[in-house]
Amino acid sequence: MSKNGYLQIHDPLKPKGQAVGIDLGTTHSLVAAVAQGKPRCVPVDEGDSLLLPSVVHYGKDGGVITGARARTLAGEHPTDTIASVKRYMGRGPDDAETRKLSHYKFVPGANVVRFDVAGGNPVTPIEVSGEILRALKRRAEAHFSMKVEQAVITVPAYFDDAQRQATKDAGRLAGLEVLRLLNEPTAAALAYGLDKGSQGTFAVYDLGGGTFDISILKLVDGVFEVKSTGGDSALGGDDFDRAIASQVFQALGINEPSPSIVAQTLAASRKAKEALTDAPEATVTVGGQSHTVKRADFDAWIQPLVNKTGLVCRRALKDAGVAAGELDGVILVGGSTRVPAVRRFVAELFGREPLGDIDPDQVVALGAAVQADLLTNEDRQDEVLLLDVIPLSLGLETMGGITEKLIQRNSTIPTAAAQVFTTFKDGQTGLDVHVVQGERELVEDNRSLARFTLSGIPPLAAGMARVEVRFQVDADGILSVAAKEQSTGAEQSITVKPSHGLTEEEIERMLLDSIEYAEDDIQARQLREQRVDAERVLAEADRQLREHGTLVQGDERAAIDAALAKVRETAQGKDYLKLKEAVHALDETCRPFIERVMNQAITQVVAGQSVEDY
Amino acid sequence: MRTHFDVFGLPRAYDVDVPALEKHYRELSLQSHPDRVAQADARERLKALENTTALNEAFKTLKDPVRRAFYLLKLHGVDLDREDAGAQKDMPLEFLEEVMELREALDGAMEKKDLARVQTMGGQVQGRRKAALDEAAGVLRALEGGGPAEEAPAQVRKASHALGRVRYFTRFLEQVDAFEEESLS
Ligand SMILES: Nc1ncnc2c1ncn2[C@@H]1O[C@H](COP(=O)(O)OP(=O)(O)OP(=O)(O)O)[C@@H](O)[C@H]1O
Ligand SMILES: [Mg+2]
Repeated sequence: MSKNGYLQIHDPLKPKGQAVGIDLGTTHSLVAAVAQGKPRCVPVDEGDSLLLPSVVHYGKDGGVITGARARTLAGEHPTDTIASVKRYMGRGPDDAETRKLSHYKFVPGANVVRFDVAGGNPVTPIEVSGEILRALKRRAEAHFSMKVEQAVITVPAYFDDAQRQATKDAGRLAGLEVLRLLNEPTAAALAYGLDKGSQGTFAVYDLGGGTFDISILKLVDGVFEVKSTGGDSALGGDDFDRAIASQVFQALGINEPSPSIVAQTLAASRKAKEALTDAPEATVTVGGQSHTVKRADFDAWIQPLVNKTGLVCRRALKDAGVAAGELDGVILVGGSTRVPAVRRFVAELFGREPLGDIDPDQVVALGAAVQADLLTNEDRQDEVLLLDVIPLSLGLETMGGITEKLIQRNSTIPTAAAQVFTTFKDGQTGLDVHVVQGERELVEDNRSLARFTLSGIPPLAAGMARVEVRFQVDADGILSVAAKEQSTGAEQSITVKPSHGLTEEEIERMLLDSIEYAEDDIQARQLREQRVDAERVLAEADRQLREHGTLVQGDERAAIDAALAKVRETAQGKDYLKLKEAVHALDETCRPFIERVMNQAITQVVAGQSVEDY
Repeated sequence: MRTHFDVFGLPRAYDVDVPALEKHYRELSLQSHPDRVAQADARERLKALENTTALNEAFKTLKDPVRRAFYLLKLHGVDLDREDAGAQKDMPLEFLEEVMELREALDGAMEKKDLARVQTMGGQVQGRRKAALDEAAGVLRALEGGGPAEEAPAQVRKASHALGRVRYFTRFLEQVDAFEEESLS
């Protein structure tokens, strides 16, 4: 739920460097951008890897490490190293998801999950995700030698409002303007659709590390219309790992494993699972003991989870009004679709072999980059349009804890609904409203999104004051609320208390806390810019010396060489001010020589040669 | 008031050429969607959001024969979506009896977890729903066709009874669906 008023619309924008697409995944995160008309992923981790493991380590000194290096620290510092943080986005400490097998220390109480980590205050999933986004932003900036301030960030199609808002807040903490939250299956379809220029109806089956999504899309005349979507935002490869880990604990008689043993076993189970994709058996070793897992056993353990995806797919087809046989293609996305049992299941379910020609790891990020380009590049705007839907119905709590649906699932966004509330007591000036999301009849079975109070209602007889509340869902799938008293036409103030999110004040405070980082960011950027400048100056000096070396006089050469060396040396360092000084010094040292070069040029122009030769 | 028909520049009528509507919807979306003005100023973006919200609502209503029928009835002053709508209480007695019978039969079958029986009932109700909708469509066509004004109130009542039945059958079928899904999982 949006917290700053009715609509989160920003001020007019200036061009803001390179717009990027980010796949903020449970297991891996990627950043991509369109350059020379083609989307490409940017190297973001050690060994020029395009995948940044979505792992954040908090050190005792307050330092933060992300990526592959953080992952190696998980065994030794299980509670300070957060992996799969996406599973906790927009969740409370009592959610079923939070209570699954894990190696974290949660801070009790509060409405948002908080990890108790080394080096300072507990952190929320929004901050942890913010660190991942910040790392991606920095690496993209280094790659492009350009600012990166605008991003399309992907979310599972089945993410509810709280999870979407949490993702958007994480973007803000990382200093990114979130151009759009894009549903992951839609992003994948965009990457495919543009490649092939195809038309037709497609199913996108996306099983990643933490989430499952299915979307049915129709592509006609450049418009991608999502017909229906479904999923489970707590079902993915992580659950396959947990299935193996629990069996291994059982087989080895380990009853109350320590966080460190849990972390190690989950990592070993994951390795074994991935090995089982190509081999008939694999071994999991925990604390010196080993257990061998056969593929057939693994297939049986995950069968209930895989079947769950089948039900969701059938419902999505039904909601779309499409029979499996009418599909023109099935697209597989996500690392967990590499599991042979999953592939077999999907092929059988849809009665056809799925497509997988684009790398399933990259396809979402590539689609996001295309959307970022479509949103920022005026020349491309009329090529393609995405029309997405809201995945879960939005409703209100009514008498007796019953949900009254206001906006049905699979409604195309943006969409809106209005509801009129009347007072039930004489002189009543306030009304409480509880917004929920989900398909179930009882409020307690759905997700509580927020509670708010309509205040400042004119005191009238019971039933006389009528307040119209308008619920607007924007193109990100995020809800905002506005209210108007009908007899006076006065706008009502609304105080939103997100059930599982941070308040605007909390976000503001986190932004202030991160100013320190922002300073780091500015320094890093200035250093990059200064380095580019230095390279240009060095190249120019070399050229002049090569072509007009005869014009150097006396001991000038030694001074120039020293100044050149100084620039090269400081360019290796981190202090952009020193580098700036060195560049300036080089300029000064070269000046008499360059003046001679220019003078000679002018003399020669007079003699009939062009200055451009210089 | 701007109607959903106005959004598409269509005359008010029960029958709508849905493929043509879909095509027109895509064209209008390409023009007005917020994505087309992502870098424009706040006012333009707000306008795009509002226009597209209205366009989506109009499209959802007009493409679906059931929603379209309820909407036309609403334009005639009867809003069956409002819980306090008088028209709801005003259903004929035979229908209320029919409802009671169906209700009991469904509850019985669900209690016995008799999926086949529930599905058969679903099939039958589907047929009745179709018949009720056809009846409503006939009346709405006549109404929109501009018959004698003095017949209008009776016709509106007839349409609202037919759609009241559609609404009831739809809810019934939703329960059948939910039961089916539950038994399959
Ligand atoms: N060869 C393989 N066999 C089986 N599973 C694999 C294989 N390769 C990767 N995986 C699994 O795929 C999952 C990661 O997939 P992916 O990178 O698509 O997820 P993600 O995008 O991070 O998550 P999500 O989309 O759910 O947020 C992990 O659970 C990983 O173990
Ligand atoms: Mg993914």
